[in-house]
Amino acid sequence: MNTMESKDGIIAQPDNSGIISELGFRAILDLLPCYLSIQDRSLQILFTNENFRKDFGEGIGKLCHMAYKGSSDICKSCPVQKSFKDRKVHISEEDVHLSNGKTAQLVVYSAPILDVSGNVSAVIEMSTNITQVKEIQKELAFLGQSLAILSHDIKNILEGLQGGAYVVDEGIKDGDMELAGKGWDIVKRNIGEISTIAQNILYSSKKRDPKVQKVSPDEMVKDVVGLFLEKSTVLGIQLKHRSNPALPMVNLDPTNIRRMLHNLIWNALEACKKDKKKRTHTVIVRADFHDRFHFKFEVEDNGVGMAEEAKENIFKEFFSTKGSEGTGLGLMVVDKIAKEHGGWVEVMSAPGKGTIFRVILRMR
Amino acid sequence: MEITGKIIIIDDNPDYLFTMATFLKRNGFETLTAGDGQKGIDLIEKEQPDLILLDVMMESIYSGLDVCKKVRTNSDLKDIPIIGISGMGDELGVRLEKWGDEDYFKVNEFFEKPVDKEKLLPRIKALLEEGLINKGKAVRIGGKLYPKK
Repeated sequence: MNTMESKDGIIAQPDNSGIISELGFRAILDLLPCYLSIQDRSLQILFTNENFRKDFGEGIGKLCHMAYKGSSDICKSCPVQKSFKDRKVHISEEDVHLSNGKTAQLVVYSAPILDVSGNVSAVIEMSTNITQVKEIQKELAFLGQSLAILSHDIKNILEGLQGGAYVVDEGIKDGDMELAGKGWDIVKRNIGEISTIAQNILYSSKKRDPKVQKVSPDEMVKDVVGLFLEKSTVLGIQLKHRSNPALPMVNLDPTNIRRMLHNLIWNALEACKKDKKKRTHTVIVRADFHDRFHFKFEVEDNGVGMAEEAKENIFKEFFSTKGSEGTGLGLMVVDKIAKEHGGWVEVMSAPGKGTIFRVILRMR
Repeated sequence: MEITGKIIIIDDNPDYLFTMATFLKRNGFETLTAGDGQKGIDLIEKEQPDLILLDVMMESIYSGLDVCKKVRTNSDLKDIPIIGISGMGDELGVRLEKWGDEDYFKVNEFFEKPVDKEKLLPRIKALLEEGLINKGKAVRIGGKLYPKK
């Protein structure tokens, strides 16, 4: 909880001149676009405005920590108690429970109300809901992190292109075509990597409707697995595909499904590459029935696996478990494509054991 | 006096290992490569190289920074110059803050990927020269290096 001392800002109690009637004050307070409550020294609520009642229910007579948080304990560094003690305005951020069951984050101002003798008779608490601001803050932090990771990936790819080009040049200079060929393979691999990043960024940045046609899931799996055979051989990972021959043709957007399978297989190979504990690694790609109405694509690996926290966040844009590699865009794109086809993604994983990604789509 | 020596390159990117090793071999250096931190440590202990090129951001059971620490805290290896390489530039400062400012995480030089090999080569030679002088195997006279007999 962040608490700040503020400058003197004692709010005076309205006098009895009757310039604004009590009803008038109530109407003004009900119009305020914030939560407002007034508490006595025992923290019992004496008054609430309409916004408060809408989101926290009837609070009069309740202790404020019970009304705002459903807690029988006084808040640590309670701003209301502070205002009672030092007669100053205090600001803090608090997590609260709304009556609809949701949680919210508030920035809270508490200010003393003085009686005619100058004693603090009550404290007024005004709060603004900053939950959305906090979400945006979190997204921006993720974005900053991901741009750093993206920059790192691109620099690694540039290193590959530059290094590959150097080897090609040296091979040509020496008339050593085998060396030149190795350099050219490196250049091609890195062109592929940058193309993947660019396509994922492009795909994730816009909404698109799938352009469906009748395709064979088995053929799709074979096509995409074929693209990765060279990479998996270089990495020493066995890459296999298994499909149920009874699977019928289904309506899919072939470009998007290829992108989805590409991202899943790429991730699986990276997970195996990162795992240093097992002597052999395998990635298996499957297409099979899921139930009467659905079929599934599955990509299984015996790589590093993921902890629970990672599983909860993997489809968030740019979240990556790959440390210094990978933007995390790939899985966000997988999730997007599955949803665009009316399907969903399931993940089973355990640290050190491996991962299964299962994309379930409708058969129609 | 021509500067040469044994260089170990440690990086989890096999393409980078191949291209950097090709570059260094063609410039007269003996090179050995390792694709992860553990293999890197084993190779360093066995081969006692004259210089190490190390991916400091390598993620594995032994990270790049773990390799650095292992070398710097070993009395037989601690004076081997290390050139740190990474695709992270300024962010590396954050990473080193996470690990602390201890001497065993310090590298002699740092290059950001893509590595400018024209700038890398003279720095490798300078570090190897310094090593030869420190070991009493060479002496610099009038700006030129001569082997010590």
